[in-house]
Amino acid sequence: MINRWLRGLFTNRAGRLAGAAAGVALTVTLLASMGIFLASSSVTMTQRAVAEVPVDWQVQFNSNADEATVRDAVVSTPGYKSLQTVEYANVAGLSARTGGTVQTTGPGKVLGISPRYGAAFPSMIRLLTGSDQGILVAQQTAANLHVKEGDKVTIMRIGLLPVQVTVDGVVELPYADFLFQAIGVPSGAAPQAPPDNVLLLPQGAWYRIFDPQAQQRPDTVQKQFHVRLFHRRLPTDPTAAYTNVIHLANNLEARVAGSALVGNNLAARLAAVRADALYARVLFLFLGLPGAILGILLTLSVTASGRRHLLQEQALLRVRGASTGQIIRYESTEALIVGVGGILLGAALTLAARNILVQTSALVNRLSLWWLAATATAGLLLATSAVLFPAWRQARRNTVTASRALVRISGNPLWKKLYLDVLLLGFAVFVYWRTAQSGYQVVLAPEGVPQISVHYEAFIAPLCFWLGGVLLARRIWENGAPRARRPLSGLLRGIAGNLSTVVTASLERQRLLVGRGIALVALAFAFAVSTAVFNTTYNAQARVDAELTNGSDVTVTGSTGAPAGLQLEEIRKLANVEAAQPMMHRFAYVGSDLQDMYGIDPAHIAEAARMSNAYFAGGSASESLSLLARYPDGVLVSEETRQDFQLNPGDHLDLRLQFASDHRYHTVPFRFIGVVREFPTAPSDSFLVANSAYIARQTGSDVREVILVRSSGDPSALAARLRKVVSTLPGVKVTDIGSVQKAVSSSLTSVDLHGLTRLELVFAVLMVMGATGLVFALGLNERRRNFAILDALGARQRQLEAFMWSEALVVLLGGAIAGTLLGVGIARILVTGLKGVFDPPPEHLILPWAYLATLTVSSVLATAAAVLGARRMSRGSVVEELRRL
Amino acid sequence: MINISNLCVRMADVRRTYLQGRTSIHALVAATCTVAPRERIAVVGPSGSGKSTLLHLMGGIDTPTAGLIAWPALGERETLRPFKVAFVFQTMSLISSLTALENAALPLLLAGTEVSEAEQTAFEALAAIGLEAAADKLPEELSGGQAQRVAVARALASHPRLILADEPTGQLDHPTAQQLFDVLLDCLEETDTALVVATHDAAVARRMNTVWRVHHGRLEVQER
Repeated sequence: MINRWLRGLFTNRAGRLAGAAAGVALTVTLLASMGIFLASSSVTMTQRAVAEVPVDWQVQFNSNADEATVRDAVVSTPGYKSLQTVEYANVAGLSARTGGTVQTTGPGKVLGISPRYGAAFPSMIRLLTGSDQGILVAQQTAANLHVKEGDKVTIMRIGLLPVQVTVDGVVELPYADFLFQAIGVPSGAAPQAPPDNVLLLPQGAWYRIFDPQAQQRPDTVQKQFHVRLFHRRLPTDPTAAYTNVIHLANNLEARVAGSALVGNNLAARLAAVRADALYARVLFLFLGLPGAILGILLTLSVTASGRRHLLQEQALLRVRGASTGQIIRYESTEALIVGVGGILLGAALTLAARNILVQTSALVNRLSLWWLAATATAGLLLATSAVLFPAWRQARRNTVTASRALVRISGNPLWKKLYLDVLLLGFAVFVYWRTAQSGYQVVLAPEGVPQISVHYEAFIAPLCFWLGGVLLARRIWENGAPRARRPLSGLLRGIAGNLSTVVTASLERQRLLVGRGIALVALAFAFAVSTAVFNTTYNAQARVDAELTNGSDVTVTGSTGAPAGLQLEEIRKLANVEAAQPMMHRFAYVGSDLQDMYGIDPAHIAEAARMSNAYFAGGSASESLSLLARYPDGVLVSEETRQDFQLNPGDHLDLRLQFASDHRYHTVPFRFIGVVREFPTAPSDSFLVANSAYIARQTGSDVREVILVRSSGDPSALAARLRKVVSTLPGVKVTDIGSVQKAVSSSLTSVDLHGLTRLELVFAVLMVMGATGLVFALGLNERRRNFAILDALGARQRQLEAFMWSEALVVLLGGAIAGTLLGVGIARILVTGLKGVFDPPPEHLILPWAYLATLTVSSVLATAAAVLGARRMSRGSVVEELRRL
Repeated sequence: MINISNLCVRMADVRRTYLQGRTSIHALVAATCTVAPRERIAVVGPSGSGKSTLLHLMGGIDTPTAGLIAWPALGERETLRPFKVAFVFQTMSLISSLTALENAALPLLLAGTEVSEAEQTAFEALAAIGLEAAADKLPEELSGGQAQRVAVARALASHPRLILADEPTGQLDHPTAQQLFDVLLDCLEETDTALVVATHDAAVARRMNTVWRVHHGRLEVQER
């Protein structure tokens, strides 16, 4: 009997089986793809984060530490890879005589490193000029002392006679913050600025010079182990990796019984990334869950369309003596076919989509299998819920007679009576307003605390807006259709000719069915548009992040000794250089705090670098730059500086800048004109922006260290050409925005959502096709009958199809308009609620016009395919249909 | 003497065979008959005898497997409907989402008549059968008899030359059936429209001028 039942299912219910299985497949595909993307993104974030940590651990010895004991403890740490010893000595100052003048600095630090340090930690020291072995002087120190390789520097030891050394090379210390961080300070304490005056000696020379100081003044010297762990052995999830590294460090400190403290740079980086990983999970829920809900709704709608047949089948079986158990067994076969078919198809689609979403690897393959297994279970559950549960409920509840009666439910559905659409929208607006007002953070990852949390209630606003908006669209259609006959008839005249009035009348009277189709299409469009707008805005902000880091499409970074500005004219002549603007990068003391200072031409800087309004507080970018142009002595400062000095616009502010004449810092008067939050190439710390002409006049140095270049073509190709132009300038670096975007710190914005966007576009188009196809499938029998009657009355082919095309147009147009408006609204809610993802936050949404056009065209084609399919299925034999009348 | 060019329908040795799986069903075998204007013909026979097939062939809905069928006074097969030939089916032949007026106007609209003119003509047809008050009702709001009368009005609205009614009273009780048939015959009284009715109802058959008997696909023409 089961075999006969199966044969009957495939023969007579193939369409419904295929539709339900397709719904399951779509749901499985989306969930599995999103899960794989999410897991892969976590792995990517962790890998990128740990790859860019210059030194994993800095193990600082306390005064009573036994070096051998600490070394043994470090070496025996699980995951240990290598360590280098670094000696630190405080000095009273450094001095040098160059060009007939003597320059003397304030207190500084002298480090002792081994020759293998550069190889072990290559990103800590970047050679600018000279040799990378021997006595190395930091870039700022070289500028302060005006020394280069071959010059002599006097080290003023503490409590001992000075010692003179010869400079072998000038270096940059990109991670000076790490090198000189205070280890063991309470979390939340203000970060310590690195010293301005730094010398690096080979360890042999350091011991020779500073062992006596260590004996006399042991408080002025320190020792650290710089440790590298095996990153491959860390857990792939950022939170798990963070916890792992924290435990290893705590364990080490316990084993050395307090004789050393661990500066856990790896944990600090992972702490930031774990929040980003959680944001990725949040994005998964925000962007993927509606699609999964849509897939589930479609599957349930497809199976619900066969309810009439289900009732008839069960009634006939019961009349013929089948037990409830037998009925359930027969219906289970359908659930199994739908479930297994949907899962297999979904798995195939997922594996195909995976190659678009992520870069495959052994790890990704393992993750894929796990997610497929998990979503397969979900798919089976969906098939059971959609197919078997209604059958089981029906079989257990009703008598034969009741099963044979078809009761039509009349009156408004419950959601309409309760005004659920209005309630959902109102609640969404309230939650959104609250989010916007309170600076709400979705993800909380307190520093130093292993636990992080997500405020899941942030999902409420977009979810309620999505559902409420669609229900409202349905209400507008169902209530408005009777009143909108004339305009609707006019709209359909092009398709239906003089049949437009009866077609409109027919549509209006079938408004519940049409409304269901509009709702499904609106859901699909809202899903696609919201994710596309969010992704486009997100990707644009990722570019903004890179622009802020790099400064422009291509940036040439030199030093005061070798400024990039020397080649400005050559650079401007190159092809694809749309604009090139020079910029000063100096240092200025604000009180005792040394800050980066950027000297610009405010009238022209925007030609080469994007100036976002978000960079400036209290005014737009053009207003702030105009103000700077109007006041030559104007200076823009950070909010922190403004508060520290209680500055008001127009207040006098003295800064100390280095003069070219004597290389000493002298006071230069400035006028405070505003607050700057972000600036191209500027660090996240406090910094200053002023007029380069004023700085040049006051300091006697017109040197422009940096050139920002806007490209009209491929930035990476232009960067390659620029490298040749500046090759004669020692230590000059050329970076392009593409490389920076890939290498930017492992924040969420480094996660590429392009593959995800493509997946969701395909999914949305399939959903639109499914939604319109479902509308036609639901009325298939009625449509066959009507076609036969109309044919008998003398209708031509075009007239027969007018009903179908009109229905398709109303469903697609109504759903697309409602869905697009909803989608933009949801994107706005997402951007506001997830502002922790963006740095800086976007000024406005960016609409992906190409994507929207593709979605529209694809949806039109999908709808046309559904209509043509339904037309084919509806054109059965007229004679056969007439016999059934 | 019958003038062939005036005939509504002329069938000569017409056969219609269907394939049902591997089995050939001979729905109509060697049917030869004519329908002249103003004729009133009843086609009787048991269920499955071929009555509906005969009407479908006459109306151009179906095509014969063999033989000749022509409409000398009406034109080619493609131009028969909606203006020249109209059908009345047994039951449930109204479009459920359209009102009685809209259903009645359908043939006219399909033929390209302007909406206002089509609705006026349809209203007059409904009035002729006494259903003007039900013009705005949907089929589900009408009784079985009323629905069939709307179907009749739909057939009459286009002023056809030939009406083919397939069991028009099959689902109705006897008084209602009689009432329906009275209305139909009254409306056709002053016209040249021919009427062919397939029916089980002996009372209906008695009211027609000619009776054709169909048995196992074979047509016997019997005059009164």
